[in-house]
Amino acid sequence: MDAFVKFTNQSQGRDRIFRATQYACALSIYLLRNTSERKDLVAKLKSLEATMSAGRKLFRLGNTINSIEAAKRTMRLSDRVLGLCLTAANINRALYFICDNALWARSVGLIRDIDKERWSLNASRCYFLSLVMHLTRDVYVVIQLMAQKVRDKHFRQKMDQHLSENPEVVEVVVPQLDAFLFLLLESLKSHPAVALDTLKNICDLFIPLDRLGIYQSNAGVVGFCGLMSSLIGILTLTQPELRIKP
Amino acid sequence: MDSWVRFNAQSQAKERVIRAAQYACTLLGYTLKKGGAAAELHKTISQLEAHMSLTRKLLRLGNSVEALEAAKRAIHLSDSVLRLCLTISHLNKAMYFACDNVLWAGKTGLISKLDQQKWSQRSFRYYLFALILNLTRDVYELRLLLESEERYRASKSPPSPYPSTTLPADSLSSSSSSPAAPATITLPVMSAWLSRRLHLLGMVLYNNPPLLLDLLKNSCDIFIPLDRLGIYPTGQGFVGACGLASSILSILTIINPWLKLKP
Repeated sequence: MDAFVKFTNQSQGRDRIFRATQYACALSIYLLRNTSERKDLVAKLKSLEATMSAGRKLFRLGNTINSIEAAKRTMRLSDRVLGLCLTAANINRALYFICDNALWARSVGLIRDIDKERWSLNASRCYFLSLVMHLTRDVYVVIQLMAQKVRDKHFRQKMDQHLSENPEVVEVVVPQLDAFLFLLLESLKSHPAVALDTLKNICDLFIPLDRLGIYQSNAGVVGFCGLMSSLIGILTLTQPELRIKP
Repeated sequence: MDSWVRFNAQSQAKERVIRAAQYACTLLGYTLKKGGAAAELHKTISQLEAHMSLTRKLLRLGNSVEALEAAKRAIHLSDSVLRLCLTISHLNKAMYFACDNVLWAGKTGLISKLDQQKWSQRSFRYYLFALILNLTRDVYELRLLLESEERYRASKSPPSPYPSTTLPADSLSSSSSSPAAPATITLPVMSAWLSRRLHLLGMVLYNNPPLLLDLLKNSCDIFIPLDRLGIYPTGQGFVGACGLASSILSILTIINPWLKLKP
């Protein structure tokens, strides 16, 4: 109970729980869309999803400043590539929050004459760019880890052992590909934070891809990916060692 | 900027800011209605207020657990009056949050047939009990501080002959004079005593800003359930002003944690 209280006291903790609920509702609505006897349940889920979405927009009102502060911090990182990726990601995140705030003001009626569709597309574009930057950072970190691992003698012994013990696999699959995959999987296994972050960003990527029409999936896929990324986010918040640094 | 990030990271802080904005909308709606502004603007403000109220209910979804944890902690206090007041106050708050969660479920359509009026009244009743207990605790702490301050003053300066000699002199003179005189003579005595007490009270409160803030906050807050339950209806404007004032005071205690009344 104490851990639950500490978790929900963090603004991010509550937001992730609400996000998980929102996407769980979206997934459930998609799965139940064809059953006629559950129409009132579907209506309730739609109402819950709308409430969560509207509520989350209100909480996010101050997050632009958070992102700008994060961008200022990442500009000072020692690793140039890392600093560039993260600063670009944070700036795009800040722009996304500005668009989101404008959409919130439109939805409550404070601002009337803005084009909701255009601002919504802009918000999705900024979110997409920030996710691409985060994925670039993930790929860069994974490449660094793999390069580090290749230099490690102990690992090279392990790889040779792996390659020699499955001769029939080596014949079927190209040996370099097999070695590369083995290296990749070993690097990810030794650094679960990076693996989780990559998985989270890939799941998140489907949401703006669908919204912008680049890769049209359906509402079920979007709901499932959103739910997965929210659950991973909750996991990284409860176990801080699983959170990627910086 | 950095302090804003730290402030924002606390869930409670955001909820307080939204509460301040909600009651500011209530106050604004009242002044607009009085000033005869456009119905469109008034509708926007009341819609915004309803949206903020519903979102705050969403934010408060986990607070029953928090209040129960606080009640569990309060049971271990050494002072029996404080222990009683705080434990029952936290339990009432937990019940208030539970009723609030049910209201949220009703408003979002999760529970279809909910008597919103009944549950709303129930939640305000629990809130009122919690506030009364908080005020009792404030008055108790104030009394303790006043007593200790008086004892300190009495020990610091030896009892001066001036007030004690004038009193018997007055009573001696009053006993010889007509029966109507005692009423007129005790009045300045009473007002001197009252002004001395008020001065002492003011000094104690000035030296203990957490107690002063908590007392002011609870006094402002109590008008909200009193109005909503119909016990002491004051009107939208006054409720909005009280709500806004208490929200600003609680934001102050979050920004400066030393201003929070312990325990």
